Amino acid sequence: MKQSELISIAEDWFQSKEWKSFPFQKQTWKAFLEGKHGLLNAPTGSGKTYALWIPIVLQYLKENPDYKTKHRKGIKAIWITPLRALSVEIQQAAQRFADDLGTGMTIGIRTGDTSQSDRAKQKRQMPDLLITTPESLMLLLASKGYDKTFKTLTAIVVDEWHELLGSKRGVQMELALSRLKTVSPKLRIWGISATIGNLEEAQDVLLGMDPEFRKNSVLIKAKQKSKIEVRSIIPKKMETFPWRGHLGIHLLEEIVPIIKASKTTIIFTNTRGQCEIWFQKLLEKHPEFAGELAMHHGSIAKDTRLWVEQAIRNESLLAVVATSSLDLGVDFAPVETVIQIGGPKGVAKFLQRAGRSNHRPGEASVIYFLPTHALELLEASALKRAVKEEVVEDRTPYLLSFDVLIQYLVTLAVSEGFFATEIFPEIKNTFCFQGITEEQWNWCLNFITLGSQSLQAYDEYKKVEVTPEGLFKVESRRIAMMHRLSIGTIVSDSMMLVKYVSGGFIGTIEEWFISKMKPGDTFVFAGRTLELVRLRQMQAQVRKSNKRTRNIVSFMGGRLPLSSQMSKILREEMQSEADHKRNTPELKALSHIFDRQERESIVPGENEFLIETFKTREGYHSIFYPFEGRFVHEAMSSLLAYRISLLSPITFSLAYNDYGFELLSDQFLDIQTILDNNLFSEEYLYDDLQKSLNATELARRKFRDIAVISGMVFQGYPNKFIKTKHLQSNSQLLFDVFRDYEPNNLLYLQAYRETFEHQLEEGRLRLALERINKQEIIWKQCQKATPFSFPIITDRLREKLSSEKLADRIKRMTLLLEK
Amino acid sequence: MKKIQINTQNFTLHPSGAIYWEDQKMLLIADVHLGKVVHFRKYGAPVPATAAYQNFEKLTEVTNHFEPDTVCFLGDLFHSKLNEEWNDFEKWVEYCKAKVILISGNHDIIPNYLYEDLGVNVFDELLLDGFYLTHHPTELEEMFNFSGHIHPGIRMKGVGRQFLRLPCFYKTENQLILPAFGNFTGKHILTPSEKDEVYAIVEGEVFCVSKN
Repeated sequence: MKQSELISIAEDWFQSKEWKSFPFQKQTWKAFLEGKHGLLNAPTGSGKTYALWIPIVLQYLKENPDYKTKHRKGIKAIWITPLRALSVEIQQAAQRFADDLGTGMTIGIRTGDTSQSDRAKQKRQMPDLLITTPESLMLLLASKGYDKTFKTLTAIVVDEWHELLGSKRGVQMELALSRLKTVSPKLRIWGISATIGNLEEAQDVLLGMDPEFRKNSVLIKAKQKSKIEVRSIIPKKMETFPWRGHLGIHLLEEIVPIIKASKTTIIFTNTRGQCEIWFQKLLEKHPEFAGELAMHHGSIAKDTRLWVEQAIRNESLLAVVATSSLDLGVDFAPVETVIQIGGPKGVAKFLQRAGRSNHRPGEASVIYFLPTHALELLEASALKRAVKEEVVEDRTPYLLSFDVLIQYLVTLAVSEGFFATEIFPEIKNTFCFQGITEEQWNWCLNFITLGSQSLQAYDEYKKVEVTPEGLFKVESRRIAMMHRLSIGTIVSDSMMLVKYVSGGFIGTIEEWFISKMKPGDTFVFAGRTLELVRLRQMQAQVRKSNKRTRNIVSFMGGRLPLSSQMSKILREEMQSEADHKRNTPELKALSHIFDRQERESIVPGENEFLIETFKTREGYHSIFYPFEGRFVHEAMSSLLAYRISLLSPITFSLAYNDYGFELLSDQFLDIQTILDNNLFSEEYLYDDLQKSLNATELARRKFRDIAVISGMVFQGYPNKFIKTKHLQSNSQLLFDVFRDYEPNNLLYLQAYRETFEHQLEEGRLRLALERINKQEIIWKQCQKATPFSFPIITDRLREKLSSEKLADRIKRMTLLLEK
Repeated sequence: MKKIQINTQNFTLHPSGAIYWEDQKMLLIADVHLGKVVHFRKYGAPVPATAAYQNFEKLTEVTNHFEPDTVCFLGDLFHSKLNEEWNDFEKWVEYCKAKVILISGNHDIIPNYLYEDLGVNVFDELLLDGFYLTHHPTELEEMFNFSGHIHPGIRMKGVGRQFLRLPCFYKTENQLILPAFGNFTGKHILTPSEKDEVYAIVEGEVFCVSKN
């Protein structure tokens, strides 16, 4: 069949459904049939699944003209999705087309939720299309005969590539692709990405460094400009609106009329804890919502999540309180309204959420923004501008993630084994490892075979062995099993299953939360009040309770930093305030806070850098306001604290938010010495930052996921209880041991590098310092906490830095006693 | 170092985590967890092998310092089954001039006869001059108890939101729990009551941080 004939098959099918294909879909079909690789830039709900699934089927028809009578076995394509929740949706769409054409093609799903028997079935006979996650694909590479299984592949589609790109799962994908390129000679590689600032780079990362793949590829952009309208919910009484906080509950009544006025509303929160609380409070204040209000977040049991998703489609729900678990993929036509609670911190995320509402062509998607504290209104004002100016952020890919590489190498050693000479060029061709040196490569091989760099006498280290032919192979079944279990470990706090005593799975919660409780204590989770009955083998067994409790389940982490694009706009909004323009409704509403700030300090203008100092019972506070976003403040606070600590012995506790940072000490800090010593200097920035990293705990925390991914810490697996107590250690302990005994270990060094490249963003810090050095520094000695300082000084998540001797410090400290 | 008196007997708390009982010329050491590093390596977790040697260096240092008649390990001397570190232990026992005894802990699964072959006597518990030596902390009214097992640590708080976690000797009215001696062990944070005495280990020194 000729290409035009194939395409008319697809066109006919579209017509039979009374749909019309979009130009980007046709473009993608053609490019695919011509054998090209590529990246498709298309938003959710635009028909992107059909853009790529259709040509995969057409290719099959082309190669098998007798497809109606004879089905040729073997896997044709893999569809990667970052979220398990999306797989059903894709399966249904794909199956519809395959069936209507009478191809007899099968579509299977393989994720962490897939049952053992289904997996075994798939192993015997792969479906034509396999929908799976990066982790499950890795697991397939860890099983024997994967090279034969994947030989027939014609395509791999990586959906939501922008989500994977800036994470280590993206690196996992790069490595898997590097192997598939070799074992599947007919492979086409395609990615689908929402709009990000660095689309071209995203394409390069996906395809790797081989010039052939790059040359033979296209970037297709779907032209679909949807209008988005942002409406802020402005409190009627600003005087009583709090200066800090992150829940936003006091504005609860404001959203009730919005919910009642529309068909289905998604209420997006930023954390799972916030989600639980909003759900609870809405029901408490408005019992009439019972039965029509649901909750959706990543820790709730899959069945419940699927039920909620289905209920949205059936239009049987009035509103859903959700987290980012509903950000992606699944298209919910009935959703009319979206409410965002608290700052979304990034423009892309905000746009994606806004896009979940109202898909009627020509009409704008409306998103309401509910601020959780006063200064967040400033963010609302900034967001509106960002949306208008179409600002988009970059996703930075990881480079030289040795932890993922080590995991991958052991994966290959677990299945078929590998020859170093064959794998090295493949690795070198990935974007992530393009810069790997021969020396680093050998280090990794030594690490998995010797557990160090030199053979020590009588060492019993055992992981990967090398046969006389040079094949790297895992022989021990136990090590193979432990490795397979750890591939899927998404790095998080230890999770515990929550189950009813009578059976029935409710969801997972972090271990630290449950460990604070005794049997008989009650807590609210997944919208239910539960009583803890007992803890048994990584399971919290509970029963329903009628007691009232304020103890709502909470989750660590999940604080998102402001992107650099957002912080710039935010700064500009703030500075327009210094000129008293107050030209948006949000800024007008903030008047009295700005007035108060000006009474007690100032609102810094474009050329001003504000520093406030004051004393409270807690000690001496020094607050700096660069308005550069959390990450830059994190870096700048430890840099500054480090430089000050060189002048004289002092101890700091550091706090930061998106507006500024605090150095808190038990000693008076003379800001003049900072200025006199030129401590905001850009000179020796790299060195000083590196040293300040040693002094704080940032790298130590980064080391946690490195230790887990590279297999140094075995966490066990949430639903499989294995006796591993004697093998449990924590990454903190390991970090110390490496620091003391093996400081040149690449994984240990990687913790520092990652903190540098992905968290501290040295480049952004340098620019910020340059800016500060051009500004006029205004030091205000205030009487008490100012409105701007309040959210920072009350933050409890803190970093510490000290140049004092511990022995001196403990003399001024007191022992924490039982209350 | 810190000298304390319990029931008119004299004890020295050493920053390594060991206690020297002067009247008995006995060195008490808890939770060394020998073999842990090698055990981890054997199961594919590449903890730096050199970390294993430091335990022996530390043991030698502290025995040379006090020159005791007896070294008494309060349990969890070995973390696991027999492995390479046993050979190093053998050498250390041979080198050590003092008599070595072990109060068995939950991790001590190496058969007793192997210890006995080295001349190391193994007990479940030991009564000595009105003192009761065990691995698990045991509260008795009539006797003072020395134990380990918990790996005790405490939290300190200071002005300016300062917090510190430190390993410690933890003494209540009738018992004293020793910190873990081994270098690849963790600590468990306790919240003392006002009556408890806490001796924290800070940069090679022992400080009393409680009011008592």
